[in-house]
Amino acid sequence: MSKVVVTGMGVVSAIGIGVPANLQRLRAAQSGIRLPEHVGTRYAEHMMMGEVEASDADLFAQLNLADTHGITRTELLAFMAFREAVAQAGLTDTQISASDTALISATTVGGMVQAQALYDDAHAISNATEFAASYRSGAHTLRLAQGYRMRGYTDTINTACSSSANAIMIGARLLKAGRARRVIVGGTDSLSKYTVNGFNALQILSDVPTRPFSADRKGLSLGEGAAYLVLEREDDLSERKALACVSGYANRCDAYHPSSMSPEAIGVIGAMTGALQVAGLAPSDIDHVNTHGTGTQNNDYTELFGLEQVLGTVPPFFSTKSYTGHTLAAAGAVEAVFSILSILHGEVWPSLHFTSPIEGLHHSPNTQMLAGLDIRHVMSNSFGFGGNCSSVIYSKL
Amino acid sequence: MYIHATACISPQPTFNGDFFSTGAVINSGTHYMALEPDYMGSIPLGQVRRMGRSVRMATGAAMPLLQQFQVDGIILGTTDGGMGDCHRFLDQIMEYAEGTLTPTNFVQGAPGAPAGGLALMTRNSGYNNTHSNKGLSFENALIDAQLLLHEGVVRQLLVGCVEEISDAQFNIERVAGYVKESAGPAADLLGSRTPGTVNGEGAAMFILNAEPTGAYARVKDVATYSGDSMADLSLLIKEFITRNGLETTDVDVLLSGLNGDVRTDGLYEAGSQAMPDASVIPYKTLFGESPSASGFACWYAAQAIAGHRAPIGPITPAWPDPLRHVLVHNHFQGHQHGLILLSSVA
Repeated sequence: MSKVVVTGMGVVSAIGIGVPANLQRLRAAQSGIRLPEHVGTRYAEHMMMGEVEASDADLFAQLNLADTHGITRTELLAFMAFREAVAQAGLTDTQISASDTALISATTVGGMVQAQALYDDAHAISNATEFAASYRSGAHTLRLAQGYRMRGYTDTINTACSSSANAIMIGARLLKAGRARRVIVGGTDSLSKYTVNGFNALQILSDVPTRPFSADRKGLSLGEGAAYLVLEREDDLSERKALACVSGYANRCDAYHPSSMSPEAIGVIGAMTGALQVAGLAPSDIDHVNTHGTGTQNNDYTELFGLEQVLGTVPPFFSTKSYTGHTLAAAGAVEAVFSILSILHGEVWPSLHFTSPIEGLHHSPNTQMLAGLDIRHVMSNSFGFGGNCSSVIYSKL
Repeated sequence: MYIHATACISPQPTFNGDFFSTGAVINSGTHYMALEPDYMGSIPLGQVRRMGRSVRMATGAAMPLLQQFQVDGIILGTTDGGMGDCHRFLDQIMEYAEGTLTPTNFVQGAPGAPAGGLALMTRNSGYNNTHSNKGLSFENALIDAQLLLHEGVVRQLLVGCVEEISDAQFNIERVAGYVKESAGPAADLLGSRTPGTVNGEGAAMFILNAEPTGAYARVKDVATYSGDSMADLSLLIKEFITRNGLETTDVDVLLSGLNGDVRTDGLYEAGSQAMPDASVIPYKTLFGESPSASGFACWYAAQAIAGHRAPIGPITPAWPDPLRHVLVHNHFQGHQHGLILLSSVA
């Protein structure tokens, strides 16, 4: 069966707009987590977050959209990353709008980033705001589809923080089943009053920039961003070059607790093992792990425990959430882009703010700039509320 | 793939079977509320009280099936699932100026909560996914299942939909012009000639596998289309029928998503143009409009194919006999179209 390959990718995160800008900041080991300027929450005064360094007005100016009515920041971020991905893949407008081009996207907060408008509309305080059709999950996908005159298959995934990993997985499966010729997959989420307060209520936000896999970790730093990848079948490419392939994936449920993971790492182990099986790889084939690594007590212990169970000796691993913050539904796609950059450039960048290893476990994240590596297979993990655990493996062509 | 069991909590007495004996309830007004059972025997009472409405309805409908069938994964479609909790959390944020909040509504307001909750209650560590794509959520869930069964990585799945009417989402739809100013009895809905529609809610659950023996009905194929220009919709419907080896005259019933919105009901004419011989049976007079409305249509069609028919009444017309192929055509607010082709097993 033909390989599912990545022919284009785009990313917007706290460490830059566009793939080159993100790569530069990863190489410089520079975190984007800082006091935010654009998100409307009182926590912005003292809580550091991974905010995209652009106002909505900046993003509107860069995008030059024909129709701006009711467009939210979540959608602006999506349009930025989407545009970059389809440009790199060299897709024409006709190809994008062809009925055999599918779009699978993910978000959690979506249009709810417009908290005041949402509150007003939900209480029918006056006439509808311009955002009334933007709140529901799926609205941003429809917006992208309308913006690019797409008419093929669309889907929106919401499995919390594993959403875009699942979007990538479904895209790969649609291609393998021959139900699409090309699939644009990814996710978007913006910093919002809703999510800041939600995670704060769960008491898993760190007051300092997140320290993934560190014994003294204090929780996660929220982030925002978007990333999209163009997936195609290798056999359909003819002369065009692909960047990497999606070789394995699996989705499992931890079935333990609505908002935390089992100490036995049932879902985590199931997802990683399943992804290896689909890829036909042995644990020792994995050269690098781009972890979920949120920096919470629960995630980092469970994830590293699971990695040690599945891989034995864990290859260099790190958490890019120490650069971007946790971009929620976008995380799986943002980290897919970073995983593929690791393959293309043979580099693993340092995990930031690590101080000391977690007691009872045997591995620490990579804290050095590693270059000149031959990275053949990268495992990327994404876990979410409801016990949703997904792993995707990206491989060198 | 084949439907082996169903359960449905809806604005009709579908859960206890009265729908087929005493007949349909003719709702009035803009809210067609689900007739929720007491959940005795399927969910422990202490847990029922703590559940959000969507989690409760999804669990109530699914648990009797999960107690009877082993499944390798759970796939739900939902867009408004958890919205009541979600908006309760938003209200706390806005009204207490981002003070100290309790996270319960935040966690329960996540659309993935029903599918995750079902996995948790049944200790199911298999595939788990939630499609939340407005008017295509249920179709997306079915296609996910179709792919998994085709890949041979699972044997049997629970697939379903859940939606809830919340005051908040209702208001949003109302100010946006998608709800009727006032609505009379359901029997008059489609003749109303006014903009907007009525809202419905509930949960429809299905046990699906690739084995025809003992099945109720077959889900032969599913397709979705999106876009504002649907001039060739009739052609797309014909293509969908023929790619499944059928003639358009083979389809006995067009189960139509007509919802009484004078602005967009005309889009359903494409189905009748493609299949002039098919009987048109509406289903939103029974179940109301919701992003996953086609899930309830799928339940209705599967039951009819299995020979379970409601007494004939103002909103329950006679189904033809024999009944071999039913096409569900649903569109959501004019932008998203879904087609589900159900067939008899033989």
